[in-house]
Amino acid sequence: MRLAAPRRSARRAEAISGYLFILPAALILGVFGLLPIVFNLYISLFDWRIRRSAFVGLANYGEIFGGALPFLILALSVALIAAGLALASKNRASLVRTLGLALLLGGAAGLIIDLPRIAALGDADLMRSFRVTVWYSLGTVPIQLLFGFLIAVALDGEFDGKQAFRVIYLLPYIVPAVATAAVFERLFSLRPESWANQVLALFGARPLQWLREYKGVFEMLFGFAPSGAKGSLGEYWSAWAGGPSLSLMSIIIYNYWVYIGYYALIYANALAAVPRELYEAAALDGARPWTRLRRITLPLVSPSTYFLTILGIIGTFKSFNSIYVLRDPATGGVTDPMSVYIFFQFFHGGRFGYASALSLVLLAIVASLTAIQRRSMERRVFFD
Amino acid sequence: MTRRRPARLSAGLVLRYSVLGVGAFACLLPFAYMAANALKTYAETVTRVSPIPFSPEFWPRSPQWSNFAEVWLGDAFGRYFLNSLVISASTLAGTLATSALAAYAFAKLRFPGREAIFSVFLATLMIPETVTLIPNFLVVSYLGWVDRLAGLTVPFMASAFYVFFLRQFFRQVPDSLLESARLEGASDLRVLFSIVAPLSRAPLFTLACLDVAASWNSLQWPLVVVQTPRWRPISVGLARLISEAGPQIQLRMAGALISLLPIVLVYILAQGQIVDSLSSSGIKE
Repeated sequence: MRLAAPRRSARRAEAISGYLFILPAALILGVFGLLPIVFNLYISLFDWRIRRSAFVGLANYGEIFGGALPFLILALSVALIAAGLALASKNRASLVRTLGLALLLGGAAGLIIDLPRIAALGDADLMRSFRVTVWYSLGTVPIQLLFGFLIAVALDGEFDGKQAFRVIYLLPYIVPAVATAAVFERLFSLRPESWANQVLALFGARPLQWLREYKGVFEMLFGFAPSGAKGSLGEYWSAWAGGPSLSLMSIIIYNYWVYIGYYALIYANALAAVPRELYEAAALDGARPWTRLRRITLPLVSPSTYFLTILGIIGTFKSFNSIYVLRDPATGGVTDPMSVYIFFQFFHGGRFGYASALSLVLLAIVASLTAIQRRSMERRVFFD
Repeated sequence: MTRRRPARLSAGLVLRYSVLGVGAFACLLPFAYMAANALKTYAETVTRVSPIPFSPEFWPRSPQWSNFAEVWLGDAFGRYFLNSLVISASTLAGTLATSALAAYAFAKLRFPGREAIFSVFLATLMIPETVTLIPNFLVVSYLGWVDRLAGLTVPFMASAFYVFFLRQFFRQVPDSLLESARLEGASDLRVLFSIVAPLSRAPLFTLACLDVAASWNSLQWPLVVVQTPRWRPISVGLARLISEAGPQIQLRMAGALISLLPIVLVYILAQGQIVDSLSSSGIKE
């Protein structure tokens, strides 16, 4: 009993130093990391153009979504899709799965009708930047996974020069993006003497505009062009059919250069953890290399695949530095994902209130993606 | 079996080295382009071109070292370079202090709400910079920190990722070591600096390298809070050179080379640790 008193005071002293130790970091993260979210909510309620002026309530959000109804349909569709996915993936009972599938289809139909409405009534440029972000994710992540995995297979095991290759492969990822983007801005310039056009010339092809080209790559290859009455469903969805612009494609190629080596190192780490006995046992059972790859290697590296996929998608919603350098204003925003579009609304447009509302929309998307990642992190083990 | 093995091995090796060689060539090509064009005359950047580094046309006829002097003095890259050095060093000092203190508390001290506070810390990691930009700009303007060193550094003097990163290593320090030091009357601050930190030299060094690379590369925030050359970092200087300097490719490439050199040096110095910690933890910032 006597010991209890000093022990309690020691415990309190430990708690006090604990709080004091986290105070500096907590103060900075609180003021510059968390407070901004609340502050954004406040700013977004005003017609704030550099200086604060009239309180406008939800008008900024109305401008984004084109009114309350399109927003509600959007929210409902997304909720339906989320619920449908949860039901269809977890439950084995066929009735529930069918219900999940129905919800999923309902949500998708809602989006197909609602997104063109938002583009017509709300912020068409935001919808374009959303489309750019989706193309950017689709264009980068799968290819980076594929080539990252192939290089990781080549990096697996012990051989001479392994560390040198690892250092070279991480180099594009580690050096400042502004400097390397400055190089790609030249490699993919529209001038006939640019590197990309010189490569085309080797094959006898005519030079392209690359970073200056606003046309979609499918449009250039197959002739799909946006068509239909302005503001119609057809016009909106046919804009997707044109594909990512060639300028965005050039930025996607820059991304390959930066990230494939990084993906390879992450995969190589996962491959090194695969127990060799599994391969030997499978070989004894007469499994062909392709079967071994599908049945052993791919499932065992799937946590890395999942991690890189989600991180890659979130990365496209956060990306800024390389696109700021590589974008050509003459293309009219066909290279700008949401983060870059929002930045220019604030930086050049001076529309603080509107850009704040936009940035909260971006935060909602990134937060949902992160929540998906966290939930699956709980189920699988990523870090050894 | 035994006779076939060496032959198959060497075929595998050839395939391995050719795949890795092509990849390494692609990784290094833009650096070669940067170096070659930084040393060309303006006329050569237009007329003396080749897409293949093995061709002499890829390289300048005689290296124009004066391009570097022109960028360093004429475009004030010398000043930007020093600014970036000061900004990186100050940010690093702050980050190291706040992260080590917080990581020690989360790893070794018991206090109510510890796990909850830690998860709030981690939540800040997902927030895109674009989201914090406008409120932080208003706060920094209110504090009078626009165009000041404080405005460029203080918001980055703490990072949840580094706290998370260091906590993993601090946890591995045995409690018995800390207990015996405490019994001799050492305070927690003393335990951190004389026992935990020296044992975690490698992760602290990795953190320092990553933080310097991150500050050196930051662009979005400095674009907003720096309006005059006084504290303009080299990232903004280079971005301006690209958008405003016209067709002088050799100057842009010289500027890019200058801005990337310190990070390449740091990387080569610390390559083993950086490669290992990045490929196992999988996160940069």
